[in-house]
Amino acid sequence: MRNFIAFIKHFQVYLVFALLQGVAFWLYFSFNQFPKTQYFTTASSLQGTVLTYRNDLTKHFNLSDNNLRLQKENIELLQKNPISFIPMQNGLVKINDTLNQTQFEYIPATIINSTYDKRDNYFTINIGSSQGVERGMGVFTMNGVVGIIHNTSEHFSVIKSCLTKKLNISIMLEGTGEFGFLEWNGENPRIGSMTGVSNDLLVEKNTKIVTRGGDKVFPKGIPVGTVDSVASIEGKPLWDIQFVFGEDFRKIQNVYVIKNFLLDEQENLENQVLE
Amino acid sequence: MNGMILNITRFVVLLFVQVLLLNQIEIGFGIQIMVYPLFIFLLPMKMNRIPLLFLSFFFGLSIDAFSNTYGLHTSAILLFAFLKPVIFNLFYNQDDFDPSIEINILNMGMMWFLKVFGTLLFIHHFWFFFIEMLDLNKVGFVFQKTLLSVPLSFMICILLQYLFVKKQK
Repeated sequence: MRNFIAFIKHFQVYLVFALLQGVAFWLYFSFNQFPKTQYFTTASSLQGTVLTYRNDLTKHFNLSDNNLRLQKENIELLQKNPISFIPMQNGLVKINDTLNQTQFEYIPATIINSTYDKRDNYFTINIGSSQGVERGMGVFTMNGVVGIIHNTSEHFSVIKSCLTKKLNISIMLEGTGEFGFLEWNGENPRIGSMTGVSNDLLVEKNTKIVTRGGDKVFPKGIPVGTVDSVASIEGKPLWDIQFVFGEDFRKIQNVYVIKNFLLDEQENLENQVLE
Repeated sequence: MNGMILNITRFVVLLFVQVLLLNQIEIGFGIQIMVYPLFIFLLPMKMNRIPLLFLSFFFGLSIDAFSNTYGLHTSAILLFAFLKPVIFNLFYNQDDFDPSIEINILNMGMMWFLKVFGTLLFIHHFWFFFIEMLDLNKVGFVFQKTLLSVPLSFMICILLQYLFVKKQK
């Protein structure tokens, strides 16, 4: 026993180091999977408030770019407005139809903190559970998919962006409909890769990649990027497709969060099948 | 008492310089500037190793809280704090080492600082990037990140010391 205590005393620095290092690793690897606590992320109110102050200072740097982008979106919307159409058939009556029901609702948000140079990049946005944001919701802009909500607090949320190791958004090639998963290798924030496309299909450069839909997160057809290069993987009947992200994550400031009204219904049904 | 206030100030200043300023500078090529180890390095040499480890754990956790890395910076700074006395002893020089003197570049000289802090910073950065990537196929990329980032971090550390540290008489 005395030997044991002497041993502990002799090696106490090493033991403390190993213990603390173990805690650090445990925090790191458990956060990647399940964000249990929000106090140590930028979703918590203290960090969120500090970052909001900083964003108030720096958000004007990209103002002109963002104005141009909003103008473009406005024009697109304006073209769908009835005032920009000439009625071709007079006398038709507009009725409220019951054929279409809203499935997706979009909540606008501003990014207050973001990185693009790390291995796993997270964005913090200025809305949280009080605005109806929940873990697992999709986030996108008009140019492309951004990521999935990873963690929320009352007024802030953290997005796990496309620039992370494992995001698992299912995407497909527009036109042929061949689908795969989105991945990022950690090197270039403009280039992502698509896995799981079998190499008996001809994939052309500049093919558009869009979301596949049906994964309960994104509606079908939200742009992701365009194919940049196609190479074969050695020993596997699959293509290694590299594509350019539609959204430039280095400049991104305003995003939309997707709320899926039919999520519960679909999940219940799928759980019944699994049981 | 004065030293206490000084160190708390350094803690806060380096924390905010790191998370609000340097974390946003993203040059490309995987460069990431990290100067916060300077806080641990400037702590007095006579400080006990176990409180030092706990302090660096807490400091790393604060950095992590603002960077969404959640344990990564903590792990790297713990290694830094653990190896600090080891590297010190490695470059120990009987003639010009006085334990009461404050450790910084002005008191210790450029060469000494380059050897000791350079080595520690390299280990810190390499550990950080390696755990972040955690892929043996990408060791080359990890080295690229480390070798490009360390000189930049190092230069900013020197700059900070010349600006904010006084020479001891």
